[in-house]
Amino acid sequence: MKAFFDKLGKNETYVKIFKTPFTYLTGAILLSIFQVVSLGVTGDPWGVSGTFANWGAWLYRLVGGSVDRWYYFSSAGAQAVLDRGFLNDPGTMRNLGIIFGALAAVLLASQFKIKKIKSKKQIVAAVLGGFLMGYGARLAYGCNIGALYSAIASLSLSGWAFAVFLFIGSFFGSKLLRKFFM
Amino acid sequence: MAEFTLDCLGEACPVPLMKTEKKLEGLAVGDILIVSIDHSCAMKNIPEWARKQGHNVEIDEVDDGEWEVVIEKTK
Repeated sequence: MKAFFDKLGKNETYVKIFKTPFTYLTGAILLSIFQVVSLGVTGDPWGVSGTFANWGAWLYRLVGGSVDRWYYFSSAGAQAVLDRGFLNDPGTMRNLGIIFGALAAVLLASQFKIKKIKSKKQIVAAVLGGFLMGYGARLAYGCNIGALYSAIASLSLSGWAFAVFLFIGSFFGSKLLRKFFM
Repeated sequence: MAEFTLDCLGEACPVPLMKTEKKLEGLAVGDILIVSIDHSCAMKNIPEWARKQGHNVEIDEVDDGEWEVVIEKTK
């Protein structure tokens, strides 16, 4: 059995499809095709950060909190999504799909590794950066996927405005990274 | 022709590339820098950057999800 998988791992076609990274062009085309599929199936453009806000709301409910009086969740649509629950949410299924899809891709390429945390600085940087990303993504009603990729795909000018400021933010973020967290 | 190592295990992009750029600056022509990474995007962008600079680059997969990027400084 093991011999079969060792041989499979060396097969040229297998390596080309499952191990060697795709070119940026191939990735872009595949992403574009799948985002059209996602739009068709769920009725919503691809986005991930909105779903995270809902995950947060459900977790908060689990520990006894309630977001029902929050302005962000006050609309009928938002309440309906929260009430339908975690398993009935298409956005949740899509995000879980991304997580498990990424896991499958890495396992098929024999590149799975649990990476150790290097230093306390790294944890601080990750927590701070993650918090800012989440906060910013909700202010912008989307992240680099919903507010950039899907917006531009929908021919929305706001996507381009977002892109400009994404670059500016990354520029200053890199400077801060170099100065404090490297 | 000295050999140097740079441990970037556990670091996420863009840190491995930034550290590689910095370290390579201080090396002499002909020196070799071996960068250990475990981030797949660094496996793509460090060799890309080094080759664009004109250096010789080799990538070894040393374990699942772990690579050594061997850069020979050529100029």
